[in-house]
Amino acid sequence: MENQIIETEIIQLTKEDFSSDQMVKWCPGCGDHAILHSVENVFPNLGIRKEDFVVVSGIGCSSRFPYYMNTYGVHSIHGRAAALATGVKLANPKLSVWMITGDGDCMAIGGNHFIHTIRRNIDINILLFNNKIYGLTKGQYSPTTPKGHKTKTSPQGTYERPFNPGELVIGAQGNFFARVLDTNPKGMTAVFMEAAKHKGTSLVEIMQNCVIFFNKAHELITSRETRDDNQLQIEHGKPLIFGKEKNKGIILKGTRLEVVTIGENGVTEADLLVHDQYEKDPGVHMMIARMMPPEFPVALGVIRSVAAETFEQSMMDSIAYEKEHSSIKTVDEMLNSGGTWTIE
Amino acid sequence: MGELKLMKGNEALAEAAIRAGADAYFGYPITPQSEVIEYLMAEKPYDRTGMVVLQAESEIAAINMVYGAAGAGKRVLTSSSSPGVSLKQEGISYIAGSELPCVYANVVRGGPGLGTIQPSQADYFQSTKGGGHGDYKQIVLAPASVQEMSDFVKLGFDLAFQYRIPVLILSDGVIGQMMEKVELFDQIPRLTDEEVAEKYPWATTGKKKGTERRIITSLDLDSNKMEEHNLHLQRKYKTIVENEVRYELIDCDDAEYIIVAYGSSARISQKAVQMARKKGIKVGLFRLITLFPFPAKQMQELCKKGVKGWLAVEMSAGQMVEDVMLSVKGCAKVEHFGRFGGIVHTPEEVLRALEEKIIGD
Ligand code: SF4
Repeated sequence: MENQIIETEIIQLTKEDFSSDQMVKWCPGCGDHAILHSVENVFPNLGIRKEDFVVVSGIGCSSRFPYYMNTYGVHSIHGRAAALATGVKLANPKLSVWMITGDGDCMAIGGNHFIHTIRRNIDINILLFNNKIYGLTKGQYSPTTPKGHKTKTSPQGTYERPFNPGELVIGAQGNFFARVLDTNPKGMTAVFMEAAKHKGTSLVEIMQNCVIFFNKAHELITSRETRDDNQLQIEHGKPLIFGKEKNKGIILKGTRLEVVTIGENGVTEADLLVHDQYEKDPGVHMMIARMMPPEFPVALGVIRSVAAETFEQSMMDSIAYEKEHSSIKTVDEMLNSGGTWTIE
Repeated sequence: MGELKLMKGNEALAEAAIRAGADAYFGYPITPQSEVIEYLMAEKPYDRTGMVVLQAESEIAAINMVYGAAGAGKRVLTSSSSPGVSLKQEGISYIAGSELPCVYANVVRGGPGLGTIQPSQADYFQSTKGGGHGDYKQIVLAPASVQEMSDFVKLGFDLAFQYRIPVLILSDGVIGQMMEKVELFDQIPRLTDEEVAEKYPWATTGKKKGTERRIITSLDLDSNKMEEHNLHLQRKYKTIVENEVRYELIDCDDAEYIIVAYGSSARISQKAVQMARKKGIKVGLFRLITLFPFPAKQMQELCKKGVKGWLAVEMSAGQMVEDVMLSVKGCAKVEHFGRFGGIVHTPEEVLRALEEKIIGD
């Protein structure tokens, strides 16, 4: 007998449907709280049934997330969330799989699984909480800690060059990369919605503040005094403009980006680089993702969003093709299909 | 007398690494042993002795850095806690197969899986029965004090180099986190590259004219050679069993009953023994210092003296108890007692278990 699929109408869910009864154990003032609220706002509006969400995490402060979402969840192994989420998605491609991870979980111990998940283009949504420190183990440096920063395991300042998550994602042939601030709930909600709709691995880097072990890590980009000169809100089809007076912009000069002032040296708005998030060639997206102070403002918003076939689609297509075209239809036929001998 | 200090177990281990003339430490943060790497970083061992300290990207990276450095003939160590030590098992099997010396510490927490950050002794099987694959053994030292956290680093390096074997210092969250007085041993100078080349012909110190090319490997596709290699390893382990058993007997001379324990359970059991003696119960404590090699012979000798019952006390569901059973070979009753999953038993509970499980019937 055929399995019966019972189609239930999707009822409009609300934020309350997704908040769990667990006590949230993040420190007061931690950026994670705002991210949780944004995700709770996004989930009811995706047209997905509540029981079809799975929130998967690794280990770290951010990885406590599944406890706080009233969905199915897996609090898994340090660094392995990407592999585990891959398993969930491939076992049941209908599910909406959300992976919650941090800079250490994702890019130190989990770096390998992370880049391979992106390369395969599994349709999962990754929210990377980048606070540039290990919070749960109380303040050791992570792969995104700025070079020279003093932590418990780098009392003289780190020697290591930090990773820029965008660089890794695009370098691993990623098709969706966005960056948001934990201080901008609207921005988070909008970007999470886009990430959810993207088919294939989407990665959102959230610049998240750890008030305890690396407070103000992103201050330059978030504080009232400095943010205008150090952040650039990008939008598809719009020129790259920033600054308090909205008079600074980015141009593409030769093979590199450059900051210019509109009105100086004959530069007009028309000279500025116009953002095209759908451009297949990753070159300019990589350059935008790499922009960092002091030379450049940090780009916020959707940097890259390119449609490409997902792993599970290719997998299912190939299974369907084989089912249709293979001469083997039964187990008996398979057993007798060759590679067997008769012993006389 | 050496320098006296009040230190946490984890800090004493870290300080001892510098003093033991270690060339390198590679680690990764995990509770409850992150103090090891934090102490080392803060101490700037590079300025003190030239020792290198690195925070790796994972426990797997750390153990493989150890593998590489050990191959170069250097004194090198790592440390972690249970979930992190599980990750290291592949590297440890290879290090054992390649016959390289190294020291590593496991500050055990409750499992399985992520478990808890509270103390436990549930990694006994992993430590003594080969957590990785293949017929290999490692020497396992079980400190019961902050003093031993320090002393066993030095002892560990000595044994590691004598037998070219991984040495595990198996402590737990109690020993790692508690503060005690410790007498630190004097600084042992690091070996120079010339001394390493001279002392350790197996190390990859550069091929000189007339010397054989050294390739570090644990692989041999010729099964006959592999069997020979395994036999050689087994002979080595036998020598270790004959020569390196370490233990401490407390009140065992006239004991009718014996509690077997190691690490923090031994500390708790010692208190239980004192309480029992006050009640007139003739009980002694057999404290294991080496878990491999296991003091089977010594237990049999006590059996011959007429011990009537053995209680294995460990913070696990019953692991070491199996080795006690194998050792005493049915000469007397053997029972297990222990709280686990992160709960530490009290001396009162141990005494009650002794009375109920061993003496009672
Ligand atoms: S330690 Fe930092 S990241 Fe973790 S909950 Fe506290 S503030 Fe947040």
